[in-house]
Amino acid sequence: MSGIETVKVIVDAEKQAAKIIEEAVTEASAIRKRIDSLIQQQRQQMLAEAKKEAAAIAARAGEEGRLEAEQYERQAIQTLEALVVRASAKKDATVEKLVTIMMRVE
Amino acid sequence: MSETSKFTEDILKSAREKAENIIRDAQTETQRASDEAKITISREAEGIVRSARADADAVKRRQISEARHRTKLREQQEKDKIMQEVLDQVQKRTAQLVEDETKYFPLLTHLIESGIHELGDKTAMIHLSKMDLGRTSVSLEHKITSTFLGRVKVEWSKEPIGGMGGAVVSSLDGKIRIVNTLDQRLEALEPRLLIEARASLFGE
Repeated sequence: MSGIETVKVIVDAEKQAAKIIEEAVTEASAIRKRIDSLIQQQRQQMLAEAKKEAAAIAARAGEEGRLEAEQYERQAIQTLEALVVRASAKKDATVEKLVTIMMRVE
Repeated sequence: MSETSKFTEDILKSAREKAENIIRDAQTETQRASDEAKITISREAEGIVRSARADADAVKRRQISEARHRTKLREQQEKDKIMQEVLDQVQKRTAQLVEDETKYFPLLTHLIESGIHELGDKTAMIHLSKMDLGRTSVSLEHKITSTFLGRVKVEWSKEPIGGMGGAVVSSLDGKIRIVNTLDQRLEALEPRLLIEARASLFGE
């Protein structure tokens, strides 16, 4: 092999090496771009799931709160009705007691 | 293998190694970015759920609190209604008792006497209701007059006062008036009567 041929072979090898590195850089860049898109996709998916769960929690809480409030009011009304019955039974005696106070000479 | 071939092979080998490193670095870097992103996104998602739970608790608490408020209000209305009925009954019963002289006259005597004491004048004019004017016995007038004999000159007005009963004791010129009517007594005793009624009716 002549000297010129040798130089040509080496130059070709350098060109090929540069091409290999250039391709690697391109691929690395593509990997980085893919991960950005993947992270974005993952974020949207996870946040959508979280929002869905949040909506379900809100709906459940509204229903639970309504039921608990109804239950509380039912019990309170029963208690109140009993209180009214008891108080009504004591009304006449109370009136007499108050009239006695009214008419008492002190 | 010739020297040239070996040399070019080394160049290419070095390039391949460098290329592998470039790609490996990119993979490592993206893997780390992915892991970090997952943590950040998870936190963000947890924050959304946590906030929803807090809002949900607040919604439940508010609904229960509103229910409590409604029932408390209703309870108060029912109690007020019963209390008002009792007070109305007390007024009616008092008006009925006024017709019973044996029960009413000791109180009337007391109201007149305390009015005269409170007036603190040498002359006192007694004003009674229309019913009392029509039935006041001589003994009542005599009792009052004799109680204050020598200290207060007691005069009886012919003009009736309104209301259930009791008396108004005034100075002769009418400038000072001690109102000891049953209506005034009921009004004055109302806070005490309400306390007694609450205790008796509701055990409060």
